[in-house]
Amino acid sequence: MDLNRRTLFRLAAAAGTAGVAGAAAMSRASVVPAARGARGVLVDTTRCVGCRACEAACAEANALAGPEKPGDDAVFASKRTTSPTSYTVVQKGSLKSPAGEDRFAKTQCMHCVEPACASGCVVRALEKTASGPVVYHKDRCLGCRYCMIACPFGVPKYEFASATPLVKKCTFCAERQANGLVPACTEVCPSGALQFGMRADLLEEAKARIYANPEKYVHKIYGEDEAGGTSWLYISDVPFESLRLPAGIEKKSYPELADGALSAVPFVITLWPPLLMGMYAFSKRRDEVAAREADGRQEGRHV
Amino acid sequence: MSEHAVKPEFWGGPWMRANLFLGMTFRDYVRSLVTPANALAAAILLAGLPTIAYRFWKGLGATTNLSQTNAWGIWVAFDVVCGVALAAGGYTVACAVYMFGQKAYRPILRPAILTGFLGYALVLFGLIVDLGQPWRLPYQFFLTPGTTAVMYEVGWCVFLYLMVLGLEFAPAALEWLGLVKLRRLLGSLTIGIIVLGVTLSTLHQSSLGAFFLMTPGKLHPLWYSPFLPIFFFVSSITAGLGMVIVESALSHRAFHDRLDPAAPVDLDRITLGLAKGGAIVLFAYFFIRLQGLVSSGRFDLLATGWGAWYLFEMLGFILLPSLLFAFAARRSSAKLARIAGVLTVLGVILNRFNVALIAFNWNVPDRYVPSAGEIITSLTIVTIGVLIFRWIVNRMPVVHEHPDWRGAH
Amino acid sequence: MNETQLLSPYAAKALEYALAVSYLLLFIPFWRFVQGEAAPVHALGFGWFQVPNGVHLHAGHAWARPEGGAVEVGLDDFAHKLVGPLETVRFPEIGAPVRQGQKAFTIVAGGQPLDVLSPVDGHVIEVNDAVRAHPADALRDPYGAGWLMRVEPRWLTGNLKNLFSGEAARRFLDAAAGKLAQRLTPQLGVVLQDGGTPVHGIARALDEDHWDELARQFLEGK
Repeated sequence: MDLNRRTLFRLAAAAGTAGVAGAAAMSRASVVPAARGARGVLVDTTRCVGCRACEAACAEANALAGPEKPGDDAVFASKRTTSPTSYTVVQKGSLKSPAGEDRFAKTQCMHCVEPACASGCVVRALEKTASGPVVYHKDRCLGCRYCMIACPFGVPKYEFASATPLVKKCTFCAERQANGLVPACTEVCPSGALQFGMRADLLEEAKARIYANPEKYVHKIYGEDEAGGTSWLYISDVPFESLRLPAGIEKKSYPELADGALSAVPFVITLWPPLLMGMYAFSKRRDEVAAREADGRQEGRHV
Repeated sequence: MSEHAVKPEFWGGPWMRANLFLGMTFRDYVRSLVTPANALAAAILLAGLPTIAYRFWKGLGATTNLSQTNAWGIWVAFDVVCGVALAAGGYTVACAVYMFGQKAYRPILRPAILTGFLGYALVLFGLIVDLGQPWRLPYQFFLTPGTTAVMYEVGWCVFLYLMVLGLEFAPAALEWLGLVKLRRLLGSLTIGIIVLGVTLSTLHQSSLGAFFLMTPGKLHPLWYSPFLPIFFFVSSITAGLGMVIVESALSHRAFHDRLDPAAPVDLDRITLGLAKGGAIVLFAYFFIRLQGLVSSGRFDLLATGWGAWYLFEMLGFILLPSLLFAFAARRSSAKLARIAGVLTVLGVILNRFNVALIAFNWNVPDRYVPSAGEIITSLTIVTIGVLIFRWIVNRMPVVHEHPDWRGAH
Repeated sequence: MNETQLLSPYAAKALEYALAVSYLLLFIPFWRFVQGEAAPVHALGFGWFQVPNGVHLHAGHAWARPEGGAVEVGLDDFAHKLVGPLETVRFPEIGAPVRQGQKAFTIVAGGQPLDVLSPVDGHVIEVNDAVRAHPADALRDPYGAGWLMRVEPRWLTGNLKNLFSGEAARRFLDAAAGKLAQRLTPQLGVVLQDGGTPVHGIARALDEDHWDELARQFLEGK
């Protein structure tokens, strides 16, 4: 193959342009940017009484066995986690409110605006929908469990006991929402702690509540920026860490962290071949020259 | 080059006896298999294969210590992540021989490619064992590709690279089978295949590091870095060099009778050449890791227990082998080079384990420890690899050249 | 990520640059060290055992050099260094027949008799009396003054086909050296590295108790 530098440069330039175009498409590792019609839930922990009706409603709506020890406050003794058979659990806070009341927070999938799990899912089993829920397609999942590794909130749970295991997590009642209903948990909440609506509206509502009662609330909406923004927003009058809401969550979306590496891929694909072929051509030429010189020396000797 | 390679007559004929049973009758061959090494291998397989079957029958929970907090265990950390790194000798030596024109390393090229090919095949095997529903592996290619996922890129790369390695190794098999035309065709494609292989390797070696870019809260700050992909790529080169040094030393001794006495290989000289490369790359790798530390600014963590562990990895398994390689090259001591090679390999394994298992979830009280089932499964996978390696080297022109194809591409 | 930033952003960036520059400064001497003059690889490396041109080696480490109508026969450099200084050489009678691959004469070293196979077919016409008188001297010039006997060949062309010469002979000795190299101990390696050989032969240094079996492995040409 006759390689000259001009051909190489032309190839590299053409490939480089393709690479940039590809990079632009590939770099946005998120699936669906925050759409206008995105729904969310505002959790006002100052109103939650820990009745756990949301857990029962969730179990019923998802045909799961009921919540553990319904009505028995002993479950609050230790930190609770969701499981393959309970998609949401109410946590009891380690601190009481300034007024001396117990505080509780419902935890479940946060349905991030740019979810790490969906962006990292190799078969799009986890997908962010335009209306807000991050849904799971159980017929696609091959069980690599990367979603569990990537999720900063530790949400996805796996059916390790099954021979055909699936990932289990809160669905945000996507099917109910598609049929014009509200999520089961928000429907049954007796104290109004859970408010379902458009995420943008809920953010406004949350800010309004904080502005109206600045001494009462912590001046932050948990989920506004966490992981680049989540659909489930929390306001509280006790520190969020005391409610078992993870601290140390990045302010930018997690898929953004992998952007750099992923955008480099098309560049490597386009640049490596000409680079390597160039090295090959160079070393081949060097060997040819050396061989010719050696022959020349032989000739000289025979003469 | 022989123009009249005889088409092999298979079943039971003289070709089978010569090429499958190493020149012995079937009965003698079977008898020759009774050795202590084979007994150990059989014991491992006897324990491991039923464990793997049980894993598929009863699910992952029955055989592993995986949990909701620790979703990845040694099957991912060792068989997949380490396996890919340690199989890197294939592309590094191929690049050296073909791109850099270093013909002196030809004698170790085929064993390195075989190690790479079997290594990746074992990675696939390990992946199949670890995945919850492995029969759905093709979904990422043909059904619902998750193009935004790092794993998508890794999946394609490993899939293609496995085929590339197969093509790179196929000439040896074709020479063994006497299929001249096919062998010649492949020979003409060598350079293209090698270029593809190096490109694919760069991509997926670095992407294994990219997996952990999304986990800054879970991976200890001394190991987490936005430069993880670069660290993984550069250390894959060191892993490749180290593995080739170790594997060639072991093969030369184990397969001594398969070497061609008319073409003796100065393995010591090759080893020292590799040692020079290893010294330089490890030196550079040490400094880019340091850059990662400086970039994170977390010098305060060096005073902690984790800091000591980090320094242990950095000084004992990156800087030390670099210096040992340098001294070995200087003193022309192949033995020292081999020790450094072992240290390098252990260092890469340590690093991958740290990133994927040990320094991952470092702040979680529920720490993962592999179960007996997981350990025996990993051992079984490695044993199968070694057995296949031995079977192939004992029959095909890997450590010696086929007399009809001397000096061919 | 930056809660515990020890340095200001300016200092941190300056440190990054400083580290990179330090690396470059260290890299230059490191590269030179690695690529520099390597120690000579003597210990049984390539070309350690000599064989001159015109000499044909037998697999049993005897050599044959055709000279005029006769063939000069001796023991090669490798075998001499392997067994060490000879104590006695039991020559065959003048006129005795020799067959290629069959025992030609016996050397005695370290009290052990070792058979040496003949490289050619023919009959003995002369033996080296100098070596008979002082066998230990043969070691010093194995291909010259250390010749052992002269043979009138019966079928030289055919015999030569079974012997190694030139490059093939060197490769043969390198392969033999390789077999020995695998058994090297560190102390022996140092001796050989300096270009010397153990006083009583390499075989003795490798395996005090069974050195004669080791030597026989090579002399039997298998």
